[in-house]
Amino acid sequence: MFSFFASEGPHIAIAPEKLFNIGGVTITNSMIYGWIVCTLIIVALIYGVKKITVNGSHGPAQILDFGVEFIHSTTANSLGTQERARKYTPYFATIFFFVLINNWMGLLPFVGKSFTYDGTALLRPFTADFNGTLSMALVAIILVQVFAIKESGSQQHLRHYFAGSLFNPLTYLIGLMEVFQEFTRLFSLALRLFLNVVIGEILIAIFAYLGGALGFLTAVPFTLMEVFIGLLQAYIFVILTVSYLSVALSHSHDSDEVSA
Amino acid sequence: MDILAETVNTAVLAKGILVGFGGMGPAIAIGLLGASYMAAVSRNPESAKFLGQLFVFVAMAELFGLIAFASIFIIK
Repeated sequence: MFSFFASEGPHIAIAPEKLFNIGGVTITNSMIYGWIVCTLIIVALIYGVKKITVNGSHGPAQILDFGVEFIHSTTANSLGTQERARKYTPYFATIFFFVLINNWMGLLPFVGKSFTYDGTALLRPFTADFNGTLSMALVAIILVQVFAIKESGSQQHLRHYFAGSLFNPLTYLIGLMEVFQEFTRLFSLALRLFLNVVIGEILIAIFAYLGGALGFLTAVPFTLMEVFIGLLQAYIFVILTVSYLSVALSHSHDSDEVSA
Repeated sequence: MDILAETVNTAVLAKGILVGFGGMGPAIAIGLLGASYMAAVSRNPESAKFLGQLFVFVAMAELFGLIAFASIFIIK
């Protein structure tokens, strides 16, 4: 391994690499691993749901139970009422488990250069692909808008952006800036998750390279840090979406907003 | 400046400056956040429950350092 890397340094890829085309659609390594993890999540969740009972669950299903309970309490704290939390928790629990399991599965040792196809790595974590995180953030932001319009009507929802007197030209200026803030939220949600995961991968690669023959030892602290960061990023993705939703649902227009 | 560009690999200098200054801001921000959290907890121990909120803001500050780090791969 040391002699292989000695001349050119560690292999660093910010963007996912193209593998092959199917009918004009390019299939990248992130997409393949995303599909694999998706299948695993669906199978695991169907298995886990059957194990959860009213009297408490046993074994691995306990983790699932705990995770959903945690997201439910976070949502209830942020949105205020239990009914709202029960209504919106399914979506937030879904993105939490999706991001978390994608982050953690990306740290497994066989992801990377172990399996190659035409010289490029066959597997790459799904969250280390900006297209993937951007589409996740896009779905989150659009769903927040849809939920808010369903809850309070489109007119009430528009008054969120254009608060204040309608005869004041400043209202429209500030409203436009508020609308553009949605795009800021979109890109910061997507960039935060993507950069945390991809830079973790790069850090692990660099420190495995610097360690030389002992690379498997020097990469351990950063892998452990990435396990923590993967959990933290999943939590942050969820809690930011919840806070965007709670701001959009609240009817007091002077509430302090969470920006960026 | 031409002589500098010929004798020194300016791309490496740029990368160093980018990582150094880009990491400085988030480091200060995270330090301030931690200090305020500790001050809040020592004034009112009940506010220890805001640890989750603290991590959200830490991640917000961290984003800018990560952007700076990711930008070094653009410099050739």
